[in-house]
Amino acid sequence: MANGKWQIASLKIAAFLDDLLKAHRVFAPVKRDGLVSFEPIGRGDEALLGFRNSKRSPKEIFFPCSETLFAYQEGEITVVPLLEERRVIFGMRPCDARSLILLDKVFDAPDYQDPYYVARRENTVIIGLGCNRPLSTCFCTTVGGGPFAVDGLDLLFTDLGDRYLVEAITERGEALVADSPHFREETTADVNLKAEIAARAEQAVSGPSVEGVKEQLDGMYDDPFWDELHEKCLGCAVCTYLCPTCHCFDIVDEAVNAQGRRVRNWDSCQFPLFTLHASGHNPRPSGKERMRQRMMHKFRYFVENFGEVACVGCGRCVRECPVNLDIRAVIEAIRTS
Amino acid sequence: MSELEELLRETARQLLAEGSIELVIGYERGTLPLRTTPCFIRDPDQVERLVWNASCENNLATYLHRATGKVGIVAKGCDARSIVGEIVERQIAREDVVIIGVPCQGVIDRTKIEARLDGRDVLEADVSEGLITLRGEGFEETLNLGEVLSEGCVTCHHRDPTLYDVFIGEPSGGAVEDRDEYAAVQALEAQTADERWAYFANEFSRCIRCYACREACPCCYCAECFVDQTQPCWFGKGDDLSDVMAFHIVRAYHVAGRCLDCGACVRACPMHIDLRALVKKLEKDVRELYSYEAGLHLETVPPLATFQPDDPQEFIK
Amino acid sequence: MSAEVEPQADWEPKIIAFLCNWCSYAGADLAGISRIQYPPNVRIVRVPCSGRVNPLYIIKSLQHGADGVLVSGCHPGDCHYISGNYYARRRFALLKSLLEFVGVEPGRVNFSWVSAAEGEKFSQVVKDVVETVKALGPAKRLVK
Repeated sequence: MANGKWQIASLKIAAFLDDLLKAHRVFAPVKRDGLVSFEPIGRGDEALLGFRNSKRSPKEIFFPCSETLFAYQEGEITVVPLLEERRVIFGMRPCDARSLILLDKVFDAPDYQDPYYVARRENTVIIGLGCNRPLSTCFCTTVGGGPFAVDGLDLLFTDLGDRYLVEAITERGEALVADSPHFREETTADVNLKAEIAARAEQAVSGPSVEGVKEQLDGMYDDPFWDELHEKCLGCAVCTYLCPTCHCFDIVDEAVNAQGRRVRNWDSCQFPLFTLHASGHNPRPSGKERMRQRMMHKFRYFVENFGEVACVGCGRCVRECPVNLDIRAVIEAIRTS
Repeated sequence: MSELEELLRETARQLLAEGSIELVIGYERGTLPLRTTPCFIRDPDQVERLVWNASCENNLATYLHRATGKVGIVAKGCDARSIVGEIVERQIAREDVVIIGVPCQGVIDRTKIEARLDGRDVLEADVSEGLITLRGEGFEETLNLGEVLSEGCVTCHHRDPTLYDVFIGEPSGGAVEDRDEYAAVQALEAQTADERWAYFANEFSRCIRCYACREACPCCYCAECFVDQTQPCWFGKGDDLSDVMAFHIVRAYHVAGRCLDCGACVRACPMHIDLRALVKKLEKDVRELYSYEAGLHLETVPPLATFQPDDPQEFIK
Repeated sequence: MSAEVEPQADWEPKIIAFLCNWCSYAGADLAGISRIQYPPNVRIVRVPCSGRVNPLYIIKSLQHGADGVLVSGCHPGDCHYISGNYYARRRFALLKSLLEFVGVEPGRVNFSWVSAAEGEKFSQVVKDVVETVKALGPAKRLVK
């Protein structure tokens, strides 16, 4: 236990979460209407442990679909208070945790901090769950992540069958577990089993390499490659909204006469409206420019600006795209172009 | 590869080679089991990519809005009816589209498969002789295709195109199952307003405003959708339930008398929202009130673009 | 969002009425001139024709404070623009059916034919609508 590792019986997880609930709002995976989502739970036993991943990414716990920034009524402005309550997210997958590191580069940067996002990040402890069985659509290992990677996590739980190995990644994580009566000393067998499981899981993940993709894209802006790629794209926002790293938004006023509110909503570069100017000119007039933008942003511009690919290989866009426009195939095509 | 696919490819090859069309829009193998993906073929040597099977779920008619020149399109029954609708509404000219009709046994509803698999990851799938075999890590399961077809397909009476230039294969025959296509709508109609509101409020609480439903729908081709208008701004774009429901109510309403239950909207929705409930209800109303079914004839006037002096009006005081 | 708020004891429903200029608006005017009493809960919006009423107006009204909506036009065959009310009839049949299907209470959204000579009828229609909506309580579905 002194080395930041513990063991907890699977049957004790609910009790651990119940304890956390005394002082935190706890988000855990639950099944609602047939879909898995991260939602606040009322009791520890509501948490779903045997799941692959949530339909929607947990980015919305930090960057909601829609949030009111402030309200106004005849000159009086009411600011929505920043998050103060303490929260725990239990069961986040390493890919989604890594995406928060990427979102931090945008929303918590040296030159700009988004107060709404930062408050949420500061007040939330993240307990990760390693992926014993990655999906065939996962490709985290090719984009800087892994099924047992710890970027963005405060704690990592690994399912060993009837018990979990628990590893503290940060002091915050350690503090959550250190005094809890539900945790026991881990054994060498636990650690070894975890290593075995992690190695197997890592082997199971496969996807396109992003080596050289940035360099390829540097020279591809005017390439005819983009002419036909976008044709089947419907121009909806499924990929961008389910993506844990996509973060574009629109700020609008919803007002009637002198009263209303200013709202931040998710927005998508795949909508024509996203870049439509008031003059009527649209610098990205067709699906071709918008598809190019998406790929460039994720695999070239973000690398230039922040040194990382803006994709964590979670596979949501791959599974959910209504026309099976597969980003893995696009990356491969760019690489070999 | 089936005989049907061979015929399909040959037809496409001929049409492209002889220059009567510049492009064939069809389906090709997808990157995941149980998926095909729309493909756009301009070179006659590429026609080998074309496939036709129970995973050909997308309604390709939606791509005709952006097409230029003369286009060939692989069309199952519902897709062909959508094309009829697009011609009637002057979105494409009849002479600019060559409809390659294919018989349809129904398309697979992947949400039904997911429900059966309950989290298990399918790595391979085979469909043959009315059976579907799913294989993954440590499991193999065989189901009747009929159990996992899209709801709309099960009761569809227009499985073959009502309009085509070429028809590949043998006609499909009547509905897959002889049951009332409006049963689900009637079940909802029998509930109280409170119960229905609770149902729809719950369904639409999942909506993320991705507009996949709108983009997948061949009827939704407005250059500026009402929900994107700012002058005036009709409804908010956030997650306020009132705005979300308003979007879906109005979108369904805008396709009244035009929607033919192809299911593209509900298949595109990542949140598995019961969108069909709304459009199917309107389809039933249009049929009962105005004896109209969309997409059957080129010489037709959409029901909201016309009237009869003795139209029903018991609802009017 | 659809919070069940207990209406205050003195709550009065707010009804938005879209009246066609040539028949229903004139009918309402006649009711006024004839000193026929009817509840003051209607807020009238004059439109050239019932066919001009965009279904989105009805939904937006319910979103933004209307407890009930009334659309009234000329009797079939009498439309000043010949056929506007015929198109409206089809449009509103479907809209009303859809709104009620979604769970908006029957009686929130109402339609009538009132001619320029039917001042008495107009007042009766308004009385009926106000009474129905009063019984339903404040609008709680689709309210923003």
